[in-house]
Amino acid sequence: MASLSFILRRILQMIPTILFILVVTFVLVRLLPGDPATVMLGDRGREADIARINAQLGLDKPLVVQFLYFIANVFSGNLGNSIALRVPVTTLLVERLPVTLLLTGMAAAIAVIFSVPLGFWAALRQNRASDTIIRGTFQVGLSMPVFYVGLLLLIFFGAHLHWFPIGGYGHGFGDHLYHLFLPAVTLALSLSAVLMRNLRSAILNVIDAEYVDFARSKGLRGYVILVRHVLRNAVISTVTLFGLQVGVLLGGAVITETVFAIPGAGRLMIDSIYGRDYPVIQGLTISLAIVVSLIFLATDLLQAWLDPRIMR
Amino acid sequence: MNAMFKALGLGAIVLGASLSGAAAVERGGILTYARQADSRLLDPVYNQGNVNIWVLSSMYDTLILPTDDGKGLKPGLATNWQVSKDGLTVTLHLRDDIKFSDGTPITAEDVRWSLERAANPEHGIWNFMLGSIDNVEARDEKTILLHLKHTDPAILPALSVFNAAIMPEKQYEATKGASDEDKAKTFAQHPVGSGPFVLTTWERGSSMKLARNPHYWAKGEDGKPLPYLDGINFEIIPDDATRILKLQSGEIDGAEMIPYARVNELKQDPAVDMELFPSTRVQYVTLNVRPKLEGEKNPLFDLKVRQALNYAANKQAIIQIVTHGVGKPMTSFMSSGTPMQTGTKPLYPYDLAKAKALLKDAGYPDGFETSIMVIAGNQDEIGIATTLQQMWSQLGVKLDIQQVDDGTRDTVYRNGTFHMRLSVWTDDIADPSEFASYALYPPTIGALHTGWSNDKATKLFEASQQELDPKKRLEEYAQMQKIFNTSGPTVPLYETPYAVALSKNLHGFNQIPLGNNIFRWAWLSR
Amino acid sequence: MSDIATSQPDGDAGRKKGRRISISFATGIVILIVSLILAFFPSAFAPYDPNVFDYNAILQAPSSAHLFGTDNFGRDMFSRVIHAYTLDMQIAVFATIVPAIVGTLIGAFVGYVGGITESVFGRIVDATITFPFLVLVIAIVSVLGPGLINMYIAVGIIDWVFYGRLTLGEIKVQKRLDYAAAGQVMGYRPSRIIFRHLLPNSMTPALVYWMTDMALCILLGSSLGYLGLGAQPPAAEWGVLIADGKNFMTSAWWISVFPGIAIVITGLGFSLLGDGITELLRTK
Repeated sequence: MASLSFILRRILQMIPTILFILVVTFVLVRLLPGDPATVMLGDRGREADIARINAQLGLDKPLVVQFLYFIANVFSGNLGNSIALRVPVTTLLVERLPVTLLLTGMAAAIAVIFSVPLGFWAALRQNRASDTIIRGTFQVGLSMPVFYVGLLLLIFFGAHLHWFPIGGYGHGFGDHLYHLFLPAVTLALSLSAVLMRNLRSAILNVIDAEYVDFARSKGLRGYVILVRHVLRNAVISTVTLFGLQVGVLLGGAVITETVFAIPGAGRLMIDSIYGRDYPVIQGLTISLAIVVSLIFLATDLLQAWLDPRIMR
Repeated sequence: MNAMFKALGLGAIVLGASLSGAAAVERGGILTYARQADSRLLDPVYNQGNVNIWVLSSMYDTLILPTDDGKGLKPGLATNWQVSKDGLTVTLHLRDDIKFSDGTPITAEDVRWSLERAANPEHGIWNFMLGSIDNVEARDEKTILLHLKHTDPAILPALSVFNAAIMPEKQYEATKGASDEDKAKTFAQHPVGSGPFVLTTWERGSSMKLARNPHYWAKGEDGKPLPYLDGINFEIIPDDATRILKLQSGEIDGAEMIPYARVNELKQDPAVDMELFPSTRVQYVTLNVRPKLEGEKNPLFDLKVRQALNYAANKQAIIQIVTHGVGKPMTSFMSSGTPMQTGTKPLYPYDLAKAKALLKDAGYPDGFETSIMVIAGNQDEIGIATTLQQMWSQLGVKLDIQQVDDGTRDTVYRNGTFHMRLSVWTDDIADPSEFASYALYPPTIGALHTGWSNDKATKLFEASQQELDPKKRLEEYAQMQKIFNTSGPTVPLYETPYAVALSKNLHGFNQIPLGNNIFRWAWLSR
Repeated sequence: MSDIATSQPDGDAGRKKGRRISISFATGIVILIVSLILAFFPSAFAPYDPNVFDYNAILQAPSSAHLFGTDNFGRDMFSRVIHAYTLDMQIAVFATIVPAIVGTLIGAFVGYVGGITESVFGRIVDATITFPFLVLVIAIVSVLGPGLINMYIAVGIIDWVFYGRLTLGEIKVQKRLDYAAAGQVMGYRPSRIIFRHLLPNSMTPALVYWMTDMALCILLGSSLGYLGLGAQPPAAEWGVLIADGKNFMTSAWWISVFPGIAIVITGLGFSLLGDGITELLRTK
């Protein structure tokens, strides 16, 4: 029951967070110089046309009025129409958001699969050859820009070996996974390096802690100590970090999606910022905020399971 | 006028034969073509840029078509046309047996409705090209009369522009929507058009599929209806390197917007046909020439300063560095592909000594500080700005490079508070009036928002807009260009072609100087 | 015991392995000292002016005249990579130092006080990191204008919560351990408990992250460079150099590869330093 009220409390806490995000987004996008009509018409825009289009979009009204309209619409489930693409924002979200979530989900999975065992291995072989090699390799991965790694992978695995398609998203779930594999690996690189390093150092910390010595002296078998005490306690800060990195991962999707020609939400977000497509930016931010909040909730629950005392 | 008509008559004969006699064409197949960015609105009247314009002609046909060189006209849905002696009436005759993509006939009434919709000043931003139209009359089933408010030498080319496309009145008006623009949004999702292809599916930001329009009127080399292809898949691949990689590995048949840095490399690639299609694209620096800027004296107001900057800009070097030799120097502010361009030799050949002397004369012997806006992440613009920064530092001019996004740049530009910006122009119409109006006729957009004006140029432009004698109009354009090229608010840099990489299997594709991608004669060999 | 036996020497070595630690730690220190020297005195090592064009030496492959080749403007890449040390060391330090210190302190304070402060902090953290990081940086940089100072501001606005949240979690664990409670019983001031006891034991995750973060910020400069929002031309900055070299990846690999190696080496220096410091903290 305690955990149920914990979940409820966390969900209630999401509401002010999302409201805050709405306000910040609304203000931030309107601080961007220029307006949608100016961007749409580009350098050939004539004054009269720009004024006419902005009036049609309701952008000539006071900001407060626009904000109230927007909030009222959000609560009735209407996120408005994209100014540049001329379709409802909800349509765009349904098309684009799952793509990005699948991409980042795969990237997160790949990062965890690589970083957890290797982080463990590196910690147990501290300062030996294998530790050095693992850390060195991850360091290289951490230091390569996403667009550069992406292109290298495309050239090698796509153009030379023909193992993977060169960009695109494909049709059908299996095909999506196939198309998203290289971009997910690209996106996972820096996250797995961050997680690996954190885990390695956390494990070293815990191994030195006195309760491990204590457990050892009790004669428990080594792996029981490892799993029950070391892993559990070491993983807590890694889980925190993982939650924190979700936003970084979604941000990284922007460039990955560009390089791999994936029609996702990250690319749409950047295009919309550049296009001053206010409704799309707002709609995307809200939905991403909800998704990320749910992921936080999940990491919180995971931590609570690892260390029940966190749940107060 | 007469000369123009002879050219038009010829066009009719050449139409089917515009493929220059290569191997026999093969029919069928789906062409996959990679674009840098997706279209947004496939409506001829309300669309707002090249991402739409360049593919619209595949879906919507016009009464008159531009020729392959982009300078002349040839028959489209209309077989012939006459302009009355007073220049106030244009009579056009529709082709027999023409149908929309849903099989319904194209009538004179559809034409009347389409042109009046396009010319309506409340509709979209392109209506100025048809601004001389007072009303359109469907005299009988095959005859259309345009009644003009005043003589307009550009009215025939205007009928070949994308916004004058012929659309089906009934199907359009039956579309749901509160306003005409709302209808356009809905109609453009599944357009019924008169072009060689018809939209079948569209996954925004990812792909657009077109199928051949079985009702298209034009015939191919083999005497059967065009197009040769069964369809086109447009794939959206924003990253240049990925687009090229996909072409090189044979996954696609064509890729647009190849960076100049890659052109020479792709020319060496045996699997790729690196095309440089002539364009009307010019690249120049726009200078704010208002007397005062931010409350201070603006050095760019002084003609001598502008000339100094021009002479100190080594265009050949910029062409080598930025376009890797692909570009060529400008001979007028308009491209050499624009009709009535009269330039003969490159503007402002590099002469540093002269530049220094001019700047000294102007009272800036030690130069001054200024800034230039470039689009963030645009390698060409950054390259140009970095090179100019270096070149102008020889004059003591300190150039601050400001990378901004389009929205910021266009806003500062429109407010007239910029110092310099990099600009590109491409014509939409086979007539010099569009660019001239923007560049040197202040009522349009204040001479590229520079604050520049020249009474003589203004008068010449106004006269040329109604001048029916081609010789006199040419003379007016020669004078306008002379004025603008010697005293205008720009630093002309270079002209570049459209760099498009194609697979060796693709034939007959063309991007005309106005930018339109012409797929109607494209075919794939197997 | 056989499984644990493999790690046992490590644990024991923790006390006797002083020599081994100092090798990787020393490597890190050497890398960073060399980097700092290059950052402060690039001209002493760079053979050419990094910004001067040479139209006769465009896109030349590495040679004895141009160790790292030349770019499309004929600029010497070796000199540009060396001169980039100045900017990149600045980015690594300036972009992260304020958020790292401020974030860690706030996290420690919040963790110690708990209660309503912690709830409020939790909402701020959630709201901040809920934005996709790069997107938020891009939006902020678009509003403020491109350039490094604005990039620092944008990173600072967001980055501090990472440190705060990491430290907070650790503090909460430490607080439950006996010595904190003992401290309270003994009537120590909260600041003394935080700084003397809780913080030293809780800053490892933040410290490890900081060292990674410095490399990540250099990379962020590269992503922003790809989008044109990072360091402004003609300044040499590794990320921007790599972004500029993208068009030449196949024809002139040296433009992007050498700056990449510089990022790897510098990043390695930071992480070795971080590992060394944490080892020192552990074995104290």
